[in-house]
Amino acid sequence: MNNLLRRGAWLSLALLGLGSGLAEAQGYRLRLDSRVQRVTYRGLTMDSIPVGEVVTGPTGGPRTPDNFAVRCPPGDSHCFFFRAGPELTGGPLVTTADLTLWGLGISGLSVRVNGRLGLDLDGDETWPGTQPEAQLVEAYAEYAHRQFTIRGGRQLLVHRLGITGFDGGRGIVRVGRSGVEVDGYVGLGLARATALTPTSPALDPLDEFQPQSRQILAGGALGYRGRLWEARVDYQREVDRDSRNFVSERTALSLNVRPTPRWSFAAGADYDLANTWFGNADAMLRYTAPWITVTGGVRQYRPHFDLWTIWGVFSPVPYHAAEGAVFVRPIGSLELRARGERYTYSDTETQTPLVDVDDDGWRLGFGASYSLGQNWRFDAGYREEYGPGASSHGFDAVVSWLPTTVLSITGYGSTLDRPLEFRFNEASVDVVGVDAEWSPTDQLRLAVGGARYRESRDRPDAAAFDWDQTRLHARVTLLLRSETDVFRLPPALRTRPRAGSR
Amino acid sequence: MRLRARLGALLLIGVLATGSALAWVAQDRFDHWQHRKLFPSCVGCHAGAAEAGAALWPQPANCADCHDAAIEDRVEWAPPAAPRASNLKFTHSGHAEEILRAKPDSALRCSSCHSEPGSDPMQVRVAVVRNCLDCHRIRAEHLEAPDSACVVCHVPLVQAVRLSRTDVSRFPAPPSHRAPDFWERAHGEQARVGSRGVAASCATCHARDFCMECHVNAPEVAAIQALQPDPRSLAHRTELRAPASHTDPTFLFGHGRPARKEAAECATCHTQESCLGCHEASPTVALAMHTAGPGRGPGARVERKRPQSHGIDFTDTHAEPASARPQSCGACHARTQCLDCHRPNAADPSPGYHPAGFLTTHPAAAYTRDQSCADCHNQSQFCADCHVSAGLGSTDGLRGSGYHDAKGEFLLNHGQAARQNLESCVSCHSERDCLSCHSAQGGRRFNPHGPGFDPETLRRKNPSMCTACHGATIPGD
Repeated sequence: MNNLLRRGAWLSLALLGLGSGLAEAQGYRLRLDSRVQRVTYRGLTMDSIPVGEVVTGPTGGPRTPDNFAVRCPPGDSHCFFFRAGPELTGGPLVTTADLTLWGLGISGLSVRVNGRLGLDLDGDETWPGTQPEAQLVEAYAEYAHRQFTIRGGRQLLVHRLGITGFDGGRGIVRVGRSGVEVDGYVGLGLARATALTPTSPALDPLDEFQPQSRQILAGGALGYRGRLWEARVDYQREVDRDSRNFVSERTALSLNVRPTPRWSFAAGADYDLANTWFGNADAMLRYTAPWITVTGGVRQYRPHFDLWTIWGVFSPVPYHAAEGAVFVRPIGSLELRARGERYTYSDTETQTPLVDVDDDGWRLGFGASYSLGQNWRFDAGYREEYGPGASSHGFDAVVSWLPTTVLSITGYGSTLDRPLEFRFNEASVDVVGVDAEWSPTDQLRLAVGGARYRESRDRPDAAAFDWDQTRLHARVTLLLRSETDVFRLPPALRTRPRAGSR
Repeated sequence: MRLRARLGALLLIGVLATGSALAWVAQDRFDHWQHRKLFPSCVGCHAGAAEAGAALWPQPANCADCHDAAIEDRVEWAPPAAPRASNLKFTHSGHAEEILRAKPDSALRCSSCHSEPGSDPMQVRVAVVRNCLDCHRIRAEHLEAPDSACVVCHVPLVQAVRLSRTDVSRFPAPPSHRAPDFWERAHGEQARVGSRGVAASCATCHARDFCMECHVNAPEVAAIQALQPDPRSLAHRTELRAPASHTDPTFLFGHGRPARKEAAECATCHTQESCLGCHEASPTVALAMHTAGPGRGPGARVERKRPQSHGIDFTDTHAEPASARPQSCGACHARTQCLDCHRPNAADPSPGYHPAGFLTTHPAAAYTRDQSCADCHNQSQFCADCHVSAGLGSTDGLRGSGYHDAKGEFLLNHGQAARQNLESCVSCHSERDCLSCHSAQGGRRFNPHGPGFDPETLRRKNPSMCTACHGATIPGD
């Protein structure tokens, strides 16, 4: 009951705020988006057995009488093993309100709010991401002038160091028409890749070290935008508010060059000033012509850990990769693609004579997309990757049918094998699904879909299990707007290629 | 054999039917040559050609004098009830009077117009256009005549009220309309006459409605406004065609500069709506365009598509350009679209980036981080939380470390795997799991520091981190 009251209060406050804001603003756009899915998953459950009850299996290893392979820690009275876990069902329902207000009496002044209300219809919170129930992703006021922009409130920074959220202020100054831009910001930071503070209990499922207070985030950037090239240098630091210790201190360079309309070059790198090493870096050359696109590049990947964790001192090593891709369009309606990458990890400087671990890997994929008129689109591809920890290979295929301009029906299927390196688990997954989307008006979008999964996890003991399931989802998107914003707004194309290139 | 006979019969019937139809059509026109000895003068039957108020056509009774079924076969004919519908300003009597008034000694005869030059006057034709042009000293071919020549014979379409829409649709297209640059540029230059006028040649066949099929800026174009509205002009089919410049693969990327410099030219075909089809996040760029509405063309329909620069793999490679030039993204993308992927929604089975079913297939991609998962997913909220629910989280220390059973001594020899895939370890293990062996204050005291470890800088930046393993006694202090 308390939960219900709390939800009601949140919703009432939100609607009151929106209502008064809409009344004041001459222009507004409000996108209400509700999504729900029913999903089940099944993991493992650790079990134990007294050492005395362990038997010797056919391969000589210790097992339970019912044929589960067990591990018996030296000196322990029990041996441990994993059984198939119970089927867990989640029903996350998330409503997102995305509001923009303008025309507030001062030219250039606007307000933006993006918030979410979520709950798990199943009630036992088995699905991640629905806690806490109310999450404020963005809420800021902005004043934009030709020479400068200032912004205050909860906002996101988008730069090479990631998409970072914070509560504070930001100012951007544009130096005349030179293309030079100076950016600065300061505030209290949010945790990485989420709308929650680092102190939130929802971010500590493993009972790890956790900061006691939010960090102060500050940084700046110097950028240049020209006709042929643009560059940006970023600096950002996060400092613990209580101890004044650094949580992170990094700098980054981003470069984008277009010497000719068909050639472009993009590169960038970030440097961790606390660990004194390069994090991620990459450089890619691209040639684009009407019938072909070719890309080639190199990159380094190394994970970043905040300094309030100890993970960084374990010296994560980077991998270095060379990659290339080609996209050929022999006719307008057909695109063929292929992509390959090979990577090698830096030396870990470890001695592991009893465990042989790969230190390199590769990925490749190829596929094709074909459009038949305005109504049909076909896509199919094959991908394969091999590397430390896990490998996979499989096919994907997608058929999209647009019987009218407001209705689309998409059927898809895939089959995949994904053996793991560190655990006996030769999983194979087959997926068949259908999605339908209907936009009767440019203000309303309805979508439903479902998929059937057939998964087999093969092992040489009783812990192997098959797991078939059906997943369903639905979505309603409603766009409300003032008369100053009456244009049809098609969605961006942001779907990753379904098959082949990755 | 029977089939062949049937086909033959059908063919014969077809030939006979076609011949009969042709014969009927031929009979519909009066054969002047056949009657040349009976009618020495044209005005004997066509008095109206020379005399205002008189009938242009003979009476049927005159024909019946001979065609009475006794002397000749009877014919069924009646004079047209009204003059033939056309856009000619010509009348026979008016033409004759005008000529006689201007040139009383004119030798102009009916045959000057109704016979081919050099042929017998009784080889009568519908007025030969070439004769009209020659007489009026128009050297060009009919449909290539200069603009001023059209009004000599023709009235504007809006005044040709008796023409039906079907009649208008049969107007022949002048050769000039087939010129490669006609639709893009030439037709506008040819249509402009003075500041408020329109070329008569255009008005002969077209009206304002036709222009509004394409021109969004119709109210602003004087030549279009000089035309009268007439829905019959829509009998000519037309459609917007993209200029040659638009087919350049780089056009999409570079169209901003010309659009700012020559906004009026873009406004010819584009409405605000067609710009905002893509530029939804920066509507100010569309303000130079007109809003679609009455009196304007519907405008070019702009399909939102990826620029060439994006390519199909741009979802995975957009970090660099997005970092270096975030404003460029803002031209087409609203922030909410970024958030759909970068702040994943727990209720979305496929938030737009990963293919359907990725949850089930993600281990291979996650182990060696094809892309940085942490750009969009909080390690604790997304990975560890789910792994704990699925029984993979190490909530009971390392007692359950038998999970990695494919490598018999994984616990003792996990160093290489850990340094290569530390993010994967973190998705199931807490720091306390590792400190049970790697702490300087207890356990096995294994040193976890490896390549690149910079103790001096780290201690300076955050000494508290060192105390987690070393307690109050940090080496080097």
